[in-house]
Amino acid sequence: MKKKQWFEAVAALVLLVFLILLALGAAGAGAQPSETGKEVVGNVLNLPGKIGEAIKSAPLGEGKGQVNLTAPEGFLNIPGAPRINPVVAFLWAIWVGWIFTTVGAFGGIMAGVGHMTVFGLGDYTKAFKQSAPAFNKVMTDCLRMANQWLVGLSSFIGTITYLRMKTLAWPLGLVLGAGSLAGAVLIPWITGGKISFSQYQGWFGLVVFVIGGFLLYETTPRGQVRKKEAKAAAQAFKKSMKEKSEGESEGIKVTRWSSSRIEFSFYGVQFGFNPVMPFIGGLFIAALSSFLGIGGGFLYVPYLTSVVGLPMFVVAGTSAMAVFVSMLTSITSYISLAGAAVDWPLIGTELVGIFVGSLLGPRTQKYIPEVWLKRIFVILALYVGLGYFSKGFFGQSWVPM
Amino acid sequence: MLNIIDTVLITFYRLTGNPVPDYFIGTFMLALLSVILGEFTVSLVFRINKKHLDGLNNHLLETHNLSMEAWRAGDRKAYTDCNREANDAFGKVFFNMVGLSAASLWPVFFALAWMQSRFMSIKFPLPFTGWSVNYVVIFLACYILARMAFGRVKHRIPYFKGVSRLLQAYEKHT
Repeated sequence: MKKKQWFEAVAALVLLVFLILLALGAAGAGAQPSETGKEVVGNVLNLPGKIGEAIKSAPLGEGKGQVNLTAPEGFLNIPGAPRINPVVAFLWAIWVGWIFTTVGAFGGIMAGVGHMTVFGLGDYTKAFKQSAPAFNKVMTDCLRMANQWLVGLSSFIGTITYLRMKTLAWPLGLVLGAGSLAGAVLIPWITGGKISFSQYQGWFGLVVFVIGGFLLYETTPRGQVRKKEAKAAAQAFKKSMKEKSEGESEGIKVTRWSSSRIEFSFYGVQFGFNPVMPFIGGLFIAALSSFLGIGGGFLYVPYLTSVVGLPMFVVAGTSAMAVFVSMLTSITSYISLAGAAVDWPLIGTELVGIFVGSLLGPRTQKYIPEVWLKRIFVILALYVGLGYFSKGFFGQSWVPM
Repeated sequence: MLNIIDTVLITFYRLTGNPVPDYFIGTFMLALLSVILGEFTVSLVFRINKKHLDGLNNHLLETHNLSMEAWRAGDRKAYTDCNREANDAFGKVFFNMVGLSAASLWPVFFALAWMQSRFMSIKFPLPFTGWSVNYVVIFLACYILARMAFGRVKHRIPYFKGVSRLLQAYEKHT
């Protein structure tokens, strides 16, 4: 009881501090001064797409938030933009791949940290907030999309695998896919070219902070007990079933189809759901994934198993397809609606690194207990979350970064 | 090194001497090369991590079967618990797929980077629409075709014959 009270008090305190900070931010705390009356880039660079249009209004010069035409070309062939060292990109991607195979969802967040902080694209983009807001926003879209490539690609292979295994529940896929499609079009359409890097960084930080909170809960004795209970119950049930023979297996067969209820049999067992639930879930998860530039796979599965109550195997294949649909839609929307550009060699290098990291992950995982691995990432998540949140919304980081 | 790669790749675009067919032939060859390279690296992941992937999939299958049994037996509490266990197991399988997809798809991005440096300004108009498509669309169309073509012949190619058998056994097992 005491522990519960302590937990609630800490949660309330964190939320209160958060609200006070938001109020301070709204009052102008941490706002940055603007620069005006400078010579601009104009038509000199001849860069394609919206990024080429947006950079025309950026001021010329050697300072922050200015374009130095004599500097060597960097990210997306922009003179003076950070030149991403392929070795650093490769090593960072190994780290991301390692996290994917050992911890899971946090890999997407680390990919974002790489683009924003390690490669220096965040500070570069942020410097244009006042001097060239349009360029700042298009660059933000490019960063959001770069993250989505890496995480969402897993769903491509996943969808093919589950299609072959015939565990894609098409009625669920249809409503979930429709919701995801709506969410993935809506966000680039509404926010494409309108979100400044600071806003993006702030929201990204907030979500990382919340994920850190969930991870922290899982490592607490309370979270561990719940997990152990579920494991023990599963084991007990396994024991009771040992003597019984397995039922006949069969694929998914739809038995009822209406606007308020869809029913299907799977492995000879009857399941049903209200189609509105996966639609709404798909819409919100795809919208959040598209806004933050993450895959969203780690949200679909718990939502469909815990909230909609469907069996895991049906959910696994269908959610992989939903991630694929939303990723494809979101990336296409960012390119066509928001005019975001893609740095192909960077993504290629990162994919090679992720592939190497995913080879190393399983080999090194056994040396670190899972609960300690989670604790390390709790610290990382809280640190990164707080840093990005303060940097994004208040102009300066409260922790060294 | 980059110059050598560029010299090799551009020869695919000079096979007939006619620019339009050459562009399509060259892009298809580039896509096929990307498919072969991707299939090779994905086979490495399978060979090196097979034991680990098998373990994850076995655990996933076991917890899933248990949850189905629980549902069938009308035990909702056991169903929820087993489903939660299966959920955790799936999380691990899903994120391991990130590594597999990266191993399979990385050459696509280098191929697109090379095409960007060579054919950025070339656009193909779509008849009667006023729209045009660039190198990305043509490469992706060729890539899908190359994947289909390679899928049909890979069981006859020495190294990939073994890989194909390994993957088939793996899919059957999971």
